[in-house]
Amino acid sequence: MFGILLRRLFEVVMFVLVVTFISFLFVRLAPGDPVLSILQVDDVSITTEQVNGLREELGFNEPLLLQYGQWFLNFIQFDFGRSYLTNQPVLKMIMSSLPATLELAIGGLLVMLVIALPLGSLAALYRGSLIDQLSRAVSLVGAAIPSFWLGLLLIDLVAVRLGALPTMGRDGLSTLILPSVTLGLAITSVYVRLLRSSLIDSLSQEFIRAARSRGISERRIFFSHAFRYSLPPVITVFGVSLGSLIGGVVVIEVIFAYPGIGKMVVDSIRSRDYPVIQGYLLIMAIIVFIVNSAVDVSYRYLNPELRLKERNQRKWS
Amino acid sequence: MISRKYQSIIILCLSFFVLAACSAQSTGQQHEVKEVNLLFNFATSSLDPNVDTSYVSLRAGITETLVHLNDKDLTIEPWLAKSWSSKDGQLWEFQLRDGVTFQNGEAMDGQAVKASLERAMKDSLAIKNALRIESITAKGNALTIKTEVPFPEFPSELVHPNTSIIDVTEPDFINKPIGTGPFAVSKFIPGTAVELTRYEAYWGGAAKLAKARFSFNEDANARSLALESGDADIVFRPEVESLASLEAIDRVKVESTSTFRVHQMTMNLEKKELQDINVRKAMDALIDRSAIAGTILHGHAEVAKGPFPSTFSFAPSYPEKEKGMEAARRYLEQAGYKEVNDVMQKEGKPLTFTLLTYSSRADLPLIAQVFQSDAGQLGIDVNIKQIEIPEEYMAANRDWDLTTYSNLTAPRGDAGYYLNATYHPKGALNFSGADDDHLTAMIDELNVTVGQEKRSDIAEDIALYVDEQVYNSFILHPNTLVAYDADKVKNWITSRSEYYMLTNELDVK
Repeated sequence: MFGILLRRLFEVVMFVLVVTFISFLFVRLAPGDPVLSILQVDDVSITTEQVNGLREELGFNEPLLLQYGQWFLNFIQFDFGRSYLTNQPVLKMIMSSLPATLELAIGGLLVMLVIALPLGSLAALYRGSLIDQLSRAVSLVGAAIPSFWLGLLLIDLVAVRLGALPTMGRDGLSTLILPSVTLGLAITSVYVRLLRSSLIDSLSQEFIRAARSRGISERRIFFSHAFRYSLPPVITVFGVSLGSLIGGVVVIEVIFAYPGIGKMVVDSIRSRDYPVIQGYLLIMAIIVFIVNSAVDVSYRYLNPELRLKERNQRKWS
Repeated sequence: MISRKYQSIIILCLSFFVLAACSAQSTGQQHEVKEVNLLFNFATSSLDPNVDTSYVSLRAGITETLVHLNDKDLTIEPWLAKSWSSKDGQLWEFQLRDGVTFQNGEAMDGQAVKASLERAMKDSLAIKNALRIESITAKGNALTIKTEVPFPEFPSELVHPNTSIIDVTEPDFINKPIGTGPFAVSKFIPGTAVELTRYEAYWGGAAKLAKARFSFNEDANARSLALESGDADIVFRPEVESLASLEAIDRVKVESTSTFRVHQMTMNLEKKELQDINVRKAMDALIDRSAIAGTILHGHAEVAKGPFPSTFSFAPSYPEKEKGMEAARRYLEQAGYKEVNDVMQKEGKPLTFTLLTYSSRADLPLIAQVFQSDAGQLGIDVNIKQIEIPEEYMAANRDWDLTTYSNLTAPRGDAGYYLNATYHPKGALNFSGADDDHLTAMIDELNVTVGQEKRSDIAEDIALYVDEQVYNSFILHPNTLVAYDADKVKNWITSRSEYYMLTNELDVK
């Protein structure tokens, strides 16, 4: 047990080192110069000497390894630095934007589940039927419609014409619905098709036939055996795509003026606000790492075969 | 088929959304209080008046500056400072307005202003560089400020929204700055909106509105839809393409006002071809300004005759220049070029240009395309290169010839900023590489000249010289567009400077 913990800890340390170093290199090597934004060069009369002076002062002329070392030293003391532009602590900025994105992601996932679970399941159960054709159509249309267009369409329909919901903002549940539906519809298509094919595969397994031969009801076979068996591929895709889901909601955040982390980081990239970009990349990497670890654990719960295999391995070793 | 457990989950989710929808309807029905919602096109996560570059605190009427920009003629006038003077342009005496209090009831006096300006310079390097203050002394309502060098345009720099005066003894600059304006912050939702309530003891008379909301959305289509739905009452920069549909709504009024921005063709004077004034004149003649303003900006622009819009007192009467394809051809012939087999060339070398453009201002790439097409008719090959951040690219690379670029000209009512930044050899925006002794001497003279009239005269001479030498070519001054619900909103003034939006005079019918 102690060995496993030690191995996990080593993995985490290596992961943080690799992620922070690579992201630091990418951010610093990308073209761009935060000094121009800091000095508001497009609004305040600045000389080239002042620009060069600040670059020197902020250490941008130092070797990259030295700059990384300085950043890492601060990081291990939980000091993520301050934004060059707003002068706010980076960690505070991230932590104040993250909840909005998380609630948007959860809202989108809820919408996705409400649509994808019944549609994918029915399409698998009634293969080739009208409902299967419908699920295919929904998937195709969902994959083809860009989120920004769908968002504007929903605002026009629900907020402007029906006057049922606010057009934008983050002010309670009412402002969460339209962005959640936009996000949910955008990601539904993948999961409908994935769940359908995974269910078809599990319904053709021998253990399902065995269960039927034992006289177990169809409802129990579906929910307790087939459905559960079909979930690991869906969860795998979810785990892999969670990072892009959180980072990729920026279009929706902009249209609905939802102040999430995606919008914050795009603004930071635009003005080359290095401490914010670096902090964001690290936090995102940690979230993805945690989710993928949770996905690993969920396999053991969802797939008894895997659990048995591991138990046997332990027994014989 | 679906188990009870799953049915319950689905019903729970649906109830959640239905309940939320009902809550939206109930809030939308409250129209008793005099209130407007202004929807702005930049978002901010911090209201800090000395740092936030969206200038929300000033625009929302939370804070004010010592000096104000008159929106009619863009000249400076007193605001929190009622007068100022200087004999040498380095030692300035300011007299503050009497009876001004912060929204917490504290008096705004010399000490408070001193502390506020010192805080602004400490937290914003841009403001430190803009003000160049060496020392501040305060006594009662009098303020003595010494600048590092003679700095005649110093009062105009105090128009900058980041020099807003706040009570620095209050702790939360980011969420609840305490200023002297007609509205105080009641709630700030970062990135979404700031909710405001009237400050009853405002020195200019309590605001006519009891409440106001200053919200943000960076998507132009979404802003237009918000006005249509009634969510917003005033919308900044609605989508140009949606203007016709907005104007078709009876209650909506669209206003288009000139600003102090100029779209220009920046020329790289280090390039051999562009060192010839006739080639520069040819490029200038090629630009079909009226067509660009009419088709790309749908008429919401003023055709540029020089760097400064006609509103400024220092915008000279420029001499008429020859324009059009034939004029461009003549200038090129004077420069020794000939069109052979549809290719403009000199000594067998074709005339080609690399034209930079960038998409953060949507009209600039379109202007580049129009120019490319017109130049093609003269046998000039223009290769358009899309870049991301023009200031960085142009400063770091010299592999380009022309750039469609957008510049602020006199954002604080004085020509010094633009002329120093763009034409002085040390200027950070001098991407052309202009290094003309006569021009530099004129700018240096402007930098030590005290008095608005004298400064305007020199600025006029410089503008005429720049235009004559065609160091850059000026295309148009884009307008600011504002759409609002004219059935509801009263006393709205579309600010040319775009600094002053929510005022104590703004009202609802």
